[in-house]
Amino acid sequence: MNDDKLMKAAGQLSTEISPERDLWPDIAAEIEKPARRRWTPMLAQAAAVVLLIGASSTVTYMVTSKDGGSGPVIASPDMVFEQASFGNRYSLGPGFQDARNSLVAELDFELQRLSPESQEDIAINLKLIHDAIFDMNNALEEDPENLLLQERLLRTYREELALLRKVSGLTRNIMMRNDI
Amino acid sequence: MAALLTAVRSDYSQVMAISSTDVIADESTLIQQAQRSNAQAFEALYRLHIDKVYGICLRMTGNVSEAEDCAQEAFIQAWNKLEKFRGDSAFSTWLHRIAVNSVLGRMRKSKREQDRIMAVTESAPVTVTTADTGDMRDLSEAVDRLPQGARHVFVLHAVYGYSHDETGDMLGIAAGTSKAQLHRAKRLLAQQLKQQGFEA
Repeated sequence: MNDDKLMKAAGQLSTEISPERDLWPDIAAEIEKPARRRWTPMLAQAAAVVLLIGASSTVTYMVTSKDGGSGPVIASPDMVFEQASFGNRYSLGPGFQDARNSLVAELDFELQRLSPESQEDIAINLKLIHDAIFDMNNALEEDPENLLLQERLLRTYREELALLRKVSGLTRNIMMRNDI
Repeated sequence: MAALLTAVRSDYSQVMAISSTDVIADESTLIQQAQRSNAQAFEALYRLHIDKVYGICLRMTGNVSEAEDCAQEAFIQAWNKLEKFRGDSAFSTWLHRIAVNSVLGRMRKSKREQDRIMAVTESAPVTVTTADTGDMRDLSEAVDRLPQGARHVFVLHAVYGYSHDETGDMLGIAAGTSKAQLHRAKRLLAQQLKQQGFEA
């Protein structure tokens, strides 16, 4: 058989051949399996965020543990500041912790420069804030993903920080007047 | 009477043209539905194309069991990649390429598996297709006995009509290599067929 005949004969071979059995049931079983979750860029980003939060939390925990920060911070014999916490799943960033610890450490000294009435007002306000923080932390331990609770707890910590700064600002003004 | 026959033939060809367009339109709709994870639409596409896909798998592997596995794998891969099909080529061409990759992938998997496929090919009765009869059946069996490289090129180029560029692209070889393998295949086939009593 020469080349031309061979090629012509090859072109006449059947190109469509029916399989001896129906292959669809096996294919259907395979494609109807629950889809495996694909590693999409969005999932990768979410995983990166989770990793970042986890790493940040771990670093925060290590920093606060090293400083002996797991215990309460005592500002004065009358005022005890519990270590700032955020439910049992998250923790507050080191920047916040440092600012708060620094203000709490100075609070006793600062309060002594204020009148007894002012000291009492501040103590009452701080107690209200601490009670609220305590209640919200307990609630967050039960429901760690509750966004409303998280937001309120953050806002309360910000109020505490603002109050502490206000005390510091008040005494700074007094010192300035004394200087004059 | 002749005029009547002409008219009838003309009408018939129009009907055929319409139904052919409808088939293409139907396939396009089925593809769109299957792209939205409609398994029933994909089954319809399977029914439309299984003979072509199985055909190329059987011609390339020369073994019924391997061809079934390759065809199944090709359709599973097609389902998984369906959202990437943009219609730049015909759906059947796209499926063919997946089927060829499926065959090549299986053969590349391991040397042991290749040996097993070759052993089965050499010992078992080769391509059994009711479509090929007489001389065609002898040719078909001779093709199945070709070495793998020469067989793949011969099947894609001589049987399925792909150019050397297309064949080379599908098989991951140069067009020149495809030509060389075709030459080898033709020489080996001529020898085999001569031994079986076929003369030019």
